[in-house]
Amino acid sequence: MNLHELSIAQLTRLLEGKKTSPEEIYTSFLTRIKEINPKINAYLTVINKPELDYSMRDKPLFGIPYSMKDTYNTKGIRTTAAAKVLDNYISPYDATAYTKLKKAGAVLIGKTNCDAWGHGSSTENSDFGPTKNPWNRDYVPGGSSGGSAASLAADLCSFSIGEDTGGSIRLPASFCSVVGLKPTYGLVSRYGCIAYASSLDTVGPMARSVEDTALVLEVLAGADSCDATTSQSKPPRYSQFLGRKIAGLKMGIPKEYFMKGMDDTVASTIAKAMKDLQKLGVEPVEISLPMTEYAISTYYLIAPSETSSNLARYDGIRFGTTRRSFGAEAKRRIMLGTFTLSHGYYDAYYKKATKVRTLIKNDFENAFKAVDFIIAPASPTPPFKLGEKVDDPLKMYLSDIYLVSVNLAGVPALSVPCGFTGNKLPISFQLIGRHFDETTLLNIGYQYEQVHGIYERPRIK
Amino acid sequence: MKKGSLSKKDVAHLAKLADLKLTDSEIEEYSGQLSSILDYINQLQEVDTSKVESTHSTIGLTNVYSEDKISDVQKLKSLKHLSVAKRNGKKYFAVKRII
Repeated sequence: MNLHELSIAQLTRLLEGKKTSPEEIYTSFLTRIKEINPKINAYLTVINKPELDYSMRDKPLFGIPYSMKDTYNTKGIRTTAAAKVLDNYISPYDATAYTKLKKAGAVLIGKTNCDAWGHGSSTENSDFGPTKNPWNRDYVPGGSSGGSAASLAADLCSFSIGEDTGGSIRLPASFCSVVGLKPTYGLVSRYGCIAYASSLDTVGPMARSVEDTALVLEVLAGADSCDATTSQSKPPRYSQFLGRKIAGLKMGIPKEYFMKGMDDTVASTIAKAMKDLQKLGVEPVEISLPMTEYAISTYYLIAPSETSSNLARYDGIRFGTTRRSFGAEAKRRIMLGTFTLSHGYYDAYYKKATKVRTLIKNDFENAFKAVDFIIAPASPTPPFKLGEKVDDPLKMYLSDIYLVSVNLAGVPALSVPCGFTGNKLPISFQLIGRHFDETTLLNIGYQYEQVHGIYERPRIK
Repeated sequence: MKKGSLSKKDVAHLAKLADLKLTDSEIEEYSGQLSSILDYINQLQEVDTSKVESTHSTIGLTNVYSEDKISDVQKLKSLKHLSVAKRNGKKYFAVKRII
């Protein structure tokens, strides 16, 4: 039995029965990291000597090693957002997500690679070299939270905290065959998470099963006085709702998502997953999200506008290096955002996009009058090869076609693995829900997982 | 600047506004790439938004108030945040001379 292959619930049971110790678990993961990480570059920082606090013994995630995307401030530990601008930045304070996980007894084992500032869909925009997909190292792991997804697929941590602004949790989760949840905007505090686009950014868990995802979400969720955009309502104990009856729930199938441009194997694999869900009693209903074709344009107006503002603070005076260290994609987005916010163009571009955003949000509100959740592919294609899209930014942006609407509408979405291509490249679907209805998504994902079976792991030579 | 295309002169101007130093070849490359991105996103102009309000908060939050006091969490103790500045004194960081 390898400890690094066990779920959170399994590890917790072993710890409670005194069959293992937090040190032993940590060492198992750390040994695996030393062996595998040089091959896939999932971690930017590895913590060799953990702070194991035995007074946390009765806490829900006691002794569980996890990774965080390197966009979270962690006091005394280097935090780079995978950008050279922050090469030597040591956080002077803790992000709320990190504080909450510490208080739950979880142990940070390392910080993961990503596209610099969260800008990308492949992790190739990292200023510290790309992460490679553990399933096939010629392929990208997806992005921007690619290091988090790869660290999970390769069993280099028990769960990971990603960040999703336009699909950055769900795309890599899909490309690496792990579970990823983009929560409702405002469910999880963003305090201390390096900002990309503040009206879209969400902090969410990634894990190797839906149950693990639910266990982590219940630690992360809830109001925070340091983030005024968090909702004041008390979140439920998500794990307690897993296994409740789903028969009779209405599953929306958006016709715009199942049209041209989708890879045949992706289409047939998702179709099979939908059949499996129907066997569990959910009822399919065709729906329409007519504004879908405008989602990418709207996203690539709003997100660069906000990022040009957020990245203006990096002046090299208070912390970080000078603006000369920005990588190509950051510069591209800063300039695009500077343009769309500039005098004479603000109304035509930025303001226009905020109005189209309303229409996209209305699409989902209308759909949820008729259905309880929506199913969609996470990506129109399986993972692509390293280098395949790096020279064509627009082509790269279009990878997020099924993902960005969710961020624009602020609704939650769960990415769940459902199969592989003939070349053994992962495929996932996503379940999209009403605002703050993570409970339904996690429950459906959990029951699908029971039917579909425990996920395979890649063999890394 | 013409809608949907950015000349090299436009890109140089934007770089100046954004405080970015670009080489000539970068300006050339960005001019092409940003123009094709703008060309794509210009499709939004065909959407009728004359009767639509803007969305900024998707979960309907407006004017979140809090008490006018700083909590311990929000306060970085003993000016620790200054320690990450490259040019710092004990109680300040240094900026470039501007006059």
